Amino acid sequence: MARISIDPITRIEGHLRIDVEVDGGKVQKAWASCTMWRGLETILRGRDAREGWVFAQRFCGVCTTVHAIASVRAVEDALQLEIPANAQYIRNLILIAHALHDHIVHFYQLSALDWVDITAIPKADPARAASIAEGYSTWPGNSRRELEAVQNKVKGLIGSGQLGIFAHGYWGHPAMHLSPELNLILFAHYLQALEFQRKSCQVVGILGGKTPHIQNLAVGGVMNAINLNSLATFNMDRLGILQSLLQDLIPFVQQAFFVDTCLLAASYPEWFHYGRGVANYLAVPDLPTDAKATHFDLPGGLIMDGNLASVQSIINWRDEAFRAAVAEDVTHAWYRGEGAQTPWKGETDPNYTDFHEDGKYTWVKAPRYNGSPIQVGPLANVLVGNASGHPLTRKWTDTAFKTIASVHGLKVAPDDLQSTMGRYLARGIRSAMLSDLALQHWQLLADNILKGDDTTYYPPQFPSHECEGVGMHEAPRGALSHWVIVDKGAFSNYQAVVPTTWNASPRDEKGVPGPYETSLIANPVVDPAKPLEVLRTVHSFDPCMACACHTLDVSGREIAQVKVL
Amino acid sequence: MSTSGMKTSAGGGFSPSRISIVGIGNVLLGDDGFGPLAIEMFRCLYECEARVEILDLGTPGLDLAPYLYDTDLVVIADAVHPPQGEEPGTLFVYCEDDLGSSQAQLRLTSHDPGVQESLAQLRLAGHAPSEVIVVGVVPESCGLGKGVSLSVLNTCVVAVDTIARLLMERSVDCRARRDPVPRDLWWLSGSA
Repeated sequence: MARISIDPITRIEGHLRIDVEVDGGKVQKAWASCTMWRGLETILRGRDAREGWVFAQRFCGVCTTVHAIASVRAVEDALQLEIPANAQYIRNLILIAHALHDHIVHFYQLSALDWVDITAIPKADPARAASIAEGYSTWPGNSRRELEAVQNKVKGLIGSGQLGIFAHGYWGHPAMHLSPELNLILFAHYLQALEFQRKSCQVVGILGGKTPHIQNLAVGGVMNAINLNSLATFNMDRLGILQSLLQDLIPFVQQAFFVDTCLLAASYPEWFHYGRGVANYLAVPDLPTDAKATHFDLPGGLIMDGNLASVQSIINWRDEAFRAAVAEDVTHAWYRGEGAQTPWKGETDPNYTDFHEDGKYTWVKAPRYNGSPIQVGPLANVLVGNASGHPLTRKWTDTAFKTIASVHGLKVAPDDLQSTMGRYLARGIRSAMLSDLALQHWQLLADNILKGDDTTYYPPQFPSHECEGVGMHEAPRGALSHWVIVDKGAFSNYQAVVPTTWNASPRDEKGVPGPYETSLIANPVVDPAKPLEVLRTVHSFDPCMACACHTLDVSGREIAQVKVL
Repeated sequence: MSTSGMKTSAGGGFSPSRISIVGIGNVLLGDDGFGPLAIEMFRCLYECEARVEILDLGTPGLDLAPYLYDTDLVVIADAVHPPQGEEPGTLFVYCEDDLGSSQAQLRLTSHDPGVQESLAQLRLAGHAPSEVIVVGVVPESCGLGKGVSLSVLNTCVVAVDTIARLLMERSVDCRARRDPVPRDLWWLSGSA
């Protein structure tokens, strides 16, 4: 029996410690511990509900827009305030651009190097690599010349003996077995990805006024002034720039990123058998197509016990079952309190005890849905879409399965997606869907404006009594909900139940572990000194601890720094 | 924070041939907010030519890369932790080589992997800034709370003049404003 403690897990946002017990080359038990305190919500208590979003978008430096929009949606829900159609479309385009950016960064910068061995790249034949890549994709960045240039850069890097940020990778690990050519193709896209991250940020900047901290939101809509005849406002020029940026992004997403997730899946088929974990999935509806938010382009729903034939739909943001089902338990988290609490009554009263595997061991609370742990994220999104018969989800899921089968004949079925590789593939499927939806929502906005509708904002009216609301968003890492109580225009309570809290959840009062912990059971570990396989499963969730907790150690001591791999 | 009408602009950080003055840090976490505070004070006190952009990037981690892509000069204001416990409020100016060198063992705050890794990726991709300078201050406390400590606030004034001097030394048109523009320190306003 070996005990491995990985602290911190690198190439994630924030601080996460994973402990596993390994026997016979497999993980037997696992604990996920967030080593930073979360407490930013307390800053919102007593604050004007109209400006909560400005503070909420500082919860996390990565998911800024995500928290901003969940915050205004929560207040609008409390007030039962409708917003104009233009506001929905502008918000949707911001959310899509941000999500594409986030998924690209995750696949390439944060997780590809768990699968791609940089030190094998010099052995690749660039001409052969180009012909392999061109067999699956029309991406112009796959030319022999381009791949040769990338190979020369890598040769130079390795020849210099200074791998720099790549110095700590598990290079040559027996679990790394891509061909040199595939290593080269994926690493070329790793470098090309930077240009498309930039284009996604430009989309957010045009719509949001600034990025990464958008300026255009308001409770009641958005503050973009629309006037087709004015140079200073949102006009045809801006619409045209937006359209061309989106058109630039789509080929990279569909022909490079999406195809890469399929090639990775075809090359590592064993990873469809590991990492299943908690097989309860939640996705919330998002990308409303009308002002009243009655129709959505991303369906919401709940799947329990891995039963993909049965989905309980979440039709809209006012879903009563959702509101009644969510509660947070602090039995194993460093907080005071007993039993599970609805977020509306949630408190954040720290009680640090050090790491006790049978007691309290993390700053993350344990959210439960009718008492059950839940997995959220692109996989939940894709499984719910497929189970609901959602055409766009089915289209891209089928395309992924066909692409994978075309490599070595591997047949993948929806049930196989409940795995570590399934989470990577689902992120590629979701990104391809979002890139289609980007142009559709651009068209909705353009059509509505050309029709003569320039309304973007309805002023909120705050009642003199207390009211409660939930703001939902299907964020890049999964279902996000902000729970607010508003009293005479100010917040009297504010709790954010973020995707990483669902996934990084500790055990609850019944001792039932959360998704990270469960997914690691039976995960292979060939060499306990180099637990690459543990990183693959943990990274498959795209951990972002920055908002699940926060950057402060309660004892006031500086926490160990993240070392860059 | 006003919710009055906003003009839509192309948004920060995307014009060609540019110089970026970047603030990094979380304004809600005490002295970690040094970067955003310093660049806002700089904006109010100094006037620069059009290719200079002032960007509050918060705590972007690896998402820093798109903002540094193909820039000429980047000046980053941030809280830093030098190797030997220096006094809070001490100001340091580093060039890019200092960031990775073993001699400095520089630790920026929790977002430092972002700065170094983003720069390394951009360098390899051929889109890195020509020059990167970090103007850093040693924090006193990065606890939950708005606003910086007195020692960091005092240094902020020096940091702002330092940023201006660094620009002028590189022949960037940057001059003290005759009439400072009003500050927008929204995170210090209001209740709670």
